[in-house]
Amino acid sequence: MRFFKNLARGARGLFRKESVEREMDEELREFLDASVADKLNRGMLPEQAIRAARAEMGSGNALKHRIRSTGWESSLEILLQDLRHSLRGLLRTPGFTFVAVLSLALGIGANTAIFTLIRQVMLHNLPVRDPQQLVTFGTSEGDGILGGIDLGMFDQFTYDFAHQLESQPGPFSGVAYYSSFPPKVSVRNGGAEAAVQVSASLVSGNYFSVLGAAPFFGRAIFPSDADAPNRSAVVVISHHYWQQILSADPAIVGKTISVNSTPFTVVGVMPEAFHGFKQELEPPDLWVPITMVEQIMLQPNMLTPRSFYFLHMFARRSTQSTLSADQAWLDRQIHDYVRAGEGATIAAARLQEIDRLTVRLIPGSHGVSFMRTQYGMSLKILMAVVAIVLLIACSNLANFLLARGVSRQREIATRLALGSTRSRIVRQSLIESLILSMAGGAFGLAIAFAATRALIVFVAEGATYTALDPLPDTAVLLFTIGVSLLAGLLFGLAPALHAARSSAGPVLSANTRTVSSGGGSRSRLAPKALVVAQIMLSLLLLVGAGLFLRTLRNLQGQDYGFERSRLLIAGFDARLAGYKPEQVPELNRRLVDRLSTLPGVRAAALSSTPPISMGSWRSSISIPGYTPQPKEDMGSPINRVSGQYFEATGIPLVAGRAIAPSDQAGTMKVAVINETMVRRFFPNGGAVGRSVKINIDAVAGPWQIVGVARDTKSGDPREKAQRMIYLPLSQIVGKNGEGIGDSFAYSIALRTSGEPAATIQDLRTAIASVDPNLPLLQVRTIQEHLETFMSHEALISRLTVIFALLALLLACIGLYGVMSFNVARRSNEIGIRIALGATGGGVRWMVLRESILLLVAGLLLGLPISLGAANMVRSQLYELSPFDPAILLTSGAVIAAVSLFAAWLPARRASAVDPMIALRCE
Amino acid sequence: MGQNDVVQGTLEMLILKTLALEPMHGYGMALRIEQVSEGVFRVNPGSLLPALARMERAGRVKSEWRTSENNRRAKYYMLTARGRKALSDESETWNRQAAAIARIMEA
Repeated sequence: MRFFKNLARGARGLFRKESVEREMDEELREFLDASVADKLNRGMLPEQAIRAARAEMGSGNALKHRIRSTGWESSLEILLQDLRHSLRGLLRTPGFTFVAVLSLALGIGANTAIFTLIRQVMLHNLPVRDPQQLVTFGTSEGDGILGGIDLGMFDQFTYDFAHQLESQPGPFSGVAYYSSFPPKVSVRNGGAEAAVQVSASLVSGNYFSVLGAAPFFGRAIFPSDADAPNRSAVVVISHHYWQQILSADPAIVGKTISVNSTPFTVVGVMPEAFHGFKQELEPPDLWVPITMVEQIMLQPNMLTPRSFYFLHMFARRSTQSTLSADQAWLDRQIHDYVRAGEGATIAAARLQEIDRLTVRLIPGSHGVSFMRTQYGMSLKILMAVVAIVLLIACSNLANFLLARGVSRQREIATRLALGSTRSRIVRQSLIESLILSMAGGAFGLAIAFAATRALIVFVAEGATYTALDPLPDTAVLLFTIGVSLLAGLLFGLAPALHAARSSAGPVLSANTRTVSSGGGSRSRLAPKALVVAQIMLSLLLLVGAGLFLRTLRNLQGQDYGFERSRLLIAGFDARLAGYKPEQVPELNRRLVDRLSTLPGVRAAALSSTPPISMGSWRSSISIPGYTPQPKEDMGSPINRVSGQYFEATGIPLVAGRAIAPSDQAGTMKVAVINETMVRRFFPNGGAVGRSVKINIDAVAGPWQIVGVARDTKSGDPREKAQRMIYLPLSQIVGKNGEGIGDSFAYSIALRTSGEPAATIQDLRTAIASVDPNLPLLQVRTIQEHLETFMSHEALISRLTVIFALLALLLACIGLYGVMSFNVARRSNEIGIRIALGATGGGVRWMVLRESILLLVAGLLLGLPISLGAANMVRSQLYELSPFDPAILLTSGAVIAAVSLFAAWLPARRASAVDPMIALRCE
Repeated sequence: MGQNDVVQGTLEMLILKTLALEPMHGYGMALRIEQVSEGVFRVNPGSLLPALARMERAGRVKSEWRTSENNRRAKYYMLTARGRKALSDESETWNRQAAAIARIMEA
């Protein structure tokens, strides 16, 4: 009760000042009158009485002040006063304030954005039960359908092995599996609606129970859904799909959607945070039992034993077993399986080889992420870069506050002499620092939102929906705000405490015409040290930026092996439109004919994979007359291409001829191989004319080599070129010329005479005219296509350049600020020097000399640090030494130039000091 | 400390005791303390009024405007229950302290 009474009274004191004031006046007046009356009673004369009474009371105002300060509202008022005072003071130097706040905001915003991304990509725990118990079989990084490998290679397994372990999980409490890549499927919701293409994931019956992932509503997939092939057409959909495409229909469970023209019943919806076990850039929207693989992948016989290796596996460990026991058990299962498939007698060497097969168990609490491996290092580098920028920003803030502290020494001394308490002075400095930090934090928050979004757009390479949350991470935000608060408090508080501690006398009486009037050279050490640190860090960032830029340039400029301009690449998948293999050769013919007639297209071609891609279709080969070494890799990627492929992509032939439209189903089977193949298998030349057997189902060889093409680069631009065999698409047909599963083409290449972007619309129209149901999955110019492979190079280098320039700007401003402040404080000293005959140039040199010293110190100290850091990121560089002298020199020169410019202006101001004015004002 | 100032820290206790008898206004209290202490303690308004304001905030006294003996309006203060309790606590502490000091001084 008392609390509220107090509150009310205080509030009255705040908001009804006049009535409270009046009351106090009245009370005092009453007191005075009573006192006078009493004294008159005792026999004093009227004037004496009045004087005595007044003397007893003392100053009315002081008394009222004392009475007022007993309440809490006066402290609040004082606080508000200090707040207003600090704010006014900050606004009086808008330039400095703006820069301090801005640098802090940028540091905080950028830091938060990067950390948010890193947290999500690298550190996010799966939204499942007890994720620390999960282990993956291998890294599960590969994706695709492999054949003819040993079990567990590339962490891919067959259905029969996975299913066997699912039923008998050994020491694990559960073993589950899923398709190693999410195939795109065509989904239709109601009859008339257009189809959308989404990713689907094929999973084992126990996938959700092993993960411990509960659905949002409905049910997940059960083992009973996956007991027989082509039964149980059920599907669990993602939260995103449910919200966006199905408009959050609350009665969705039990309804049917059509997936690749097969009706599936929706049985459940997953929660928003669940994106499956493997974190893809485009997360799957559907989960389907593995037994429905034929409808999803549109390929038969995927479940046939020992044929297709396309599943990743993971398990939940039980608390009873040790990791080594689990590992031993898994390896034993793999060995038994492979041995059982080899037949009756196995060579001793092969037995040994089998025993060496192993798939490492890896903790899977964060799931598997392609992004993590691809971007892991890049993000770490960016983290370091942004941390450095934050450091520089904090130094600016610190410098600013230090300068203010020094310039206010006289003010503080005066206030102390006039009776202010030390605590009030310290409190005011505190408030000032807090205002700056808060302002910086607020702007930083805004920047964090924008920057996170921008960063995600960049990382996602244009995918329309990713699993990345653009909301900045609160923990990181609080951390960075805390850091800036700390910096502000530290550097704002220190000089205030120091000044408040010292007595007013020496400072006030100090002869302001001496050097020590500016606070002495000792007080200038801290700002100088900070500036040197800023220069060091800027050098580091500039060198880093230079290295990454050059790397990017090197990567972009390298020879990919084909013509790199005026090329349009598009992806499509006829299976999504319901095409059967028999219809494919005809479709391919129609497409090539139609596309070749497009205006502005010089050559049009189809292929199974685009000229550069991450994935490839591999097969094993054998060359008559060539005995392979033991364990030699006799496989090769194969690209099935239509007649004009080499003309369209501009891949030159170095011997023989290219694949021509005349190579048809009935003519001799021909092949073109690339230089790497020749180097390996025909080192003495004479490849043209030889034949090669290629292991493709349903198509018998042999194939005659008619040409040798130049090497092209594969997915990773840093890797050496891989082998490649080109086969005519029209010759990948069955015995009677009918289309087979491998007759499908998935990529279109168009060589244009003008800008490729101009032909995109024509391409779409042309495809639609051939078949309006045929979806075009992606259309890109070759430049865009290449850029996706270099996206993380581009990411690091562009962002590093931006941050390096930002850091340089901040350091430059910091230097300018410190120098000009020094000049201002020394204006008396400079005035005397000029009055005593120093020239303008002499004074300029005196100031410049100080700056140059700082610059040189910064560069010298920063050099070994930059070299060390460059060495650490050596793995990210391409065809570039980390100690590249050109980059070091350029960075140093840039910093020197900028610093000299920043120092020049104050120096000029110093030389322009009018001694009369400088000496006159105190 | 001046000759006639109250012992440090005892002002509130003295005020409480003074008000225990009857409600008074500011000057009346000062007069009473001076009279009862036979001139030893003189409280000036500079200490009295802020002390009264503090005690009011602490809930030990409450105030209201009344007409005084010479028909003027004055602010009268009176003890609250909490004030009474504070008075008994503080006087007990004071007695203990005074006895201890006396013992030491006579030893």
